Amino acid sequence: MIEAPKIDLAYSLTDGDIAVNNLDSARRHSWSRFWRDPLQPGIAECIVEQEQLTAQFVGDLGALDRLDTLVQHLDRTDGESPRTILIRAQIASMAHRFAEAKRYLEEIGDWDELSDAASRLSLSIDQACGTDLEAALEARRWMVAKSKRLEDVVPLAALRADLREFDEADRLYQRALREYNDTSPFAVAWVCFQLGVLWGELVPESQSSRAEYWYRKAIEYLPCYVKARVHLAEVCLGHGRAKEAEALLLPAIPTGDPEVHWRLADVLARMGRLADAEAQMQTARSGFESLLEKHLLAFADHGAEFYSGSGNDAQRAFELASINLANRPTLRAFELERKTAAGVGRLSLK
Amino acid sequence: MSDHVDGPRQIGEPATDLTDLFAFTSPENPAHTVLVANVFPFAGVTAMFSNAVNHSIVARRVTVAGLGNDARFKADDKEIRFSFRFDALERAAGDSQAVQRGTCTCPDGQTLSFLVNDEKGASTADGVFRVFAGLRSDPFYLAWVVRDLKKVPNLLQHDNVLAIVVEFDTQRVLNPGGGALFGAIAEITPLPGRASPIGVNPPRYDWVARPEQTNMRLNNPGIQGEDDLRDLWNQQTPFAMAEELKPVFHQKLVGSLTNWDMRDGKADWSPEALHAAANVYLDDFLLFDVSKPISDTSYLEIEKSTIRGKPYGTGGGRTVDANVIDIMVTWMVNDDKEFMQGGATSATKPGLKVFPYEASPNTELQTVADGIDLAASPDQVWALIGQFGGMWHPLIASIKLTGEGVGQLRTIETIDGKQIIERLEALDHSQRLYRYTNVSGLGVVDYTGTFDLKPKESGSSVEWRVQFLADNQPTFAVRTIVATLMKTGVEALSKRFGALK
Repeated sequence: MIEAPKIDLAYSLTDGDIAVNNLDSARRHSWSRFWRDPLQPGIAECIVEQEQLTAQFVGDLGALDRLDTLVQHLDRTDGESPRTILIRAQIASMAHRFAEAKRYLEEIGDWDELSDAASRLSLSIDQACGTDLEAALEARRWMVAKSKRLEDVVPLAALRADLREFDEADRLYQRALREYNDTSPFAVAWVCFQLGVLWGELVPESQSSRAEYWYRKAIEYLPCYVKARVHLAEVCLGHGRAKEAEALLLPAIPTGDPEVHWRLADVLARMGRLADAEAQMQTARSGFESLLEKHLLAFADHGAEFYSGSGNDAQRAFELASINLANRPTLRAFELERKTAAGVGRLSLK
Repeated sequence: MSDHVDGPRQIGEPATDLTDLFAFTSPENPAHTVLVANVFPFAGVTAMFSNAVNHSIVARRVTVAGLGNDARFKADDKEIRFSFRFDALERAAGDSQAVQRGTCTCPDGQTLSFLVNDEKGASTADGVFRVFAGLRSDPFYLAWVVRDLKKVPNLLQHDNVLAIVVEFDTQRVLNPGGGALFGAIAEITPLPGRASPIGVNPPRYDWVARPEQTNMRLNNPGIQGEDDLRDLWNQQTPFAMAEELKPVFHQKLVGSLTNWDMRDGKADWSPEALHAAANVYLDDFLLFDVSKPISDTSYLEIEKSTIRGKPYGTGGGRTVDANVIDIMVTWMVNDDKEFMQGGATSATKPGLKVFPYEASPNTELQTVADGIDLAASPDQVWALIGQFGGMWHPLIASIKLTGEGVGQLRTIETIDGKQIIERLEALDHSQRLYRYTNVSGLGVVDYTGTFDLKPKESGSSVEWRVQFLADNQPTFAVRTIVATLMKTGVEALSKRFGALK
């Protein structure tokens, strides 16, 4: 096994607690500014960015609902402007409604002022859908050569991982860490999390201790990072450290993320606390269904994983995996669909 | 906007984004000088300082090194530095409200510990220094769309910033006998790094001196398609610009100032004077003279007089209430021939005459919204609710109208005997929208309501939204009243027109 390098960042990062406090504070103020004047330049775009960060790092899944409200209001006040159409595309993409997002981007066409943001979004959608990855790689490499910013290096690394070039992906992620020279902990925690996923889930033979190292780093920089807690809890449970897994998940319960309840149910079941586990499993099930009702495509893959695991509904898992595959025909989506097809005793049709 | 969000770097970490710097004579004590630096544009009400950086305000003695087209200001090597550092948040058990503490190191090495947002601040035992740090109403105001110089209301209305305030004994700290002209800057720098093979510390994250050096001069919104030099500028060492970069920034400033001069279609500046102004702006520090009066209108007077080849007459500086944008725009566009007043004449709140001089923070506006999709055409629904004096709400007993059109008042008697007076602010029958404000009767300030009706499928969709600040009563109580008014109204519409299936 390749050992993970031990990192000790030379730069200081703003404490994760302060960063999250400030994100929440700024997000609320942005909404207040938006309601005062929805057409104020940049305010809707700022909200989209802040809500994305809130969903990604704080696990606040209500962000998608709030963004739907934003779009509905922009539709009323400035529905035809290219700016609104781009925001619609961003939010559709965030909710994994990729075909819809692409349609919006086509509407924008070659609108000069938005072309850079639109082409970046288009590239992200291609990458998420596994479409024309070689062209995406070329574009990503060009962007990194031009900007060298972490925001560009990380998607290139993710793309390398999608292309199964895992060592190159690792090299790029670590480059992003080395070259980062800002104080926000969000970006650094994000890279650490990506490295955890790379070595814990994407490589053919999982290297769980290496993944654990990076998940721990992500949580060190951003204690509220729900996804990192969930993934690290999985690793801990895999190593038989149920108590540790429980301690990681309990602080994340207030976010309401059904994945937290699902993993906690697994942990509690392993500890023999079956009634508590069942209660958590019920909460997870209703949580997933509630999310799927509102944002089917955004959570179809997570739902499929849940139902094909201890969520224990093979038919629902297959149904969701098929929806996910139709939406984004990536290798991972295909593998998920094949796994769930086997669960219902049929061969994958795709 | 001043130095608000002045580069791609700041977008990721607003708490390390310096917005403004001020230097003025203490309104409380004329023997004292006050320096203020603000960070975190558009800070929310719970914003806190980053604990990963040093926040510094630095002053150096300055001499006039040239007049007229040779105008220059030369800063001394010796610096007077105030450094602020902040701790991680503290939360008492069971208390969701976090607190933060900070420390200021004064130029003489004394340290002052303080609690963020404590208006009293902290003082040294000898009374020479007093400091404050915390959330305040943003004193900066910008009321132009800078790109095409269109007047608009203050773009920073109701916004807050995190302020760092130092007040000190002018005689003991600056020793003006050795020269009374000073230049000030504020900067955000990394904390001392740890030895490691990974990660790099930039020399600094941000710095600010005169307002709008970055967002209006270096990155003139009226000039499209040029490289953005703001991050490069922010990483320069204040008072010691890299010699090899000076021509790059100088050229950029000359191009920008030329563009500004021509915004009114007339060249009011000679090319030589534009070059002189670019040189003066290149030495970017906020000039203030502690031996002369600093007023709300004295900002930039030292620079202007020196470029015009005459001795300056005021203390320059920048007060909390100074209208710096209009002063600056007027000078750049028409060389002070005609004052250019933007769309606002003051910030959200005026500055205070007492410590900490910047006004108390603005409370977050509360928003309550409700709406419904109705099974009736927009015209049918608008015929009822689009009349400012329309009687359709079940909680309203009578409405009396005074005046006509925008500005019209409606006096509402509710069925439980209360009187509410509201003013029509905007009415657009083509868009089926009207906006009104509350004049009295609800215990609120800054109350704005909006009715908006749009077609939806075979029917229509109503949105009713209200924003307000509670005035001398609990916010939740007002929210409850407003939400009940809305819910009752929306239910009445549903009953009358039917809900869209």
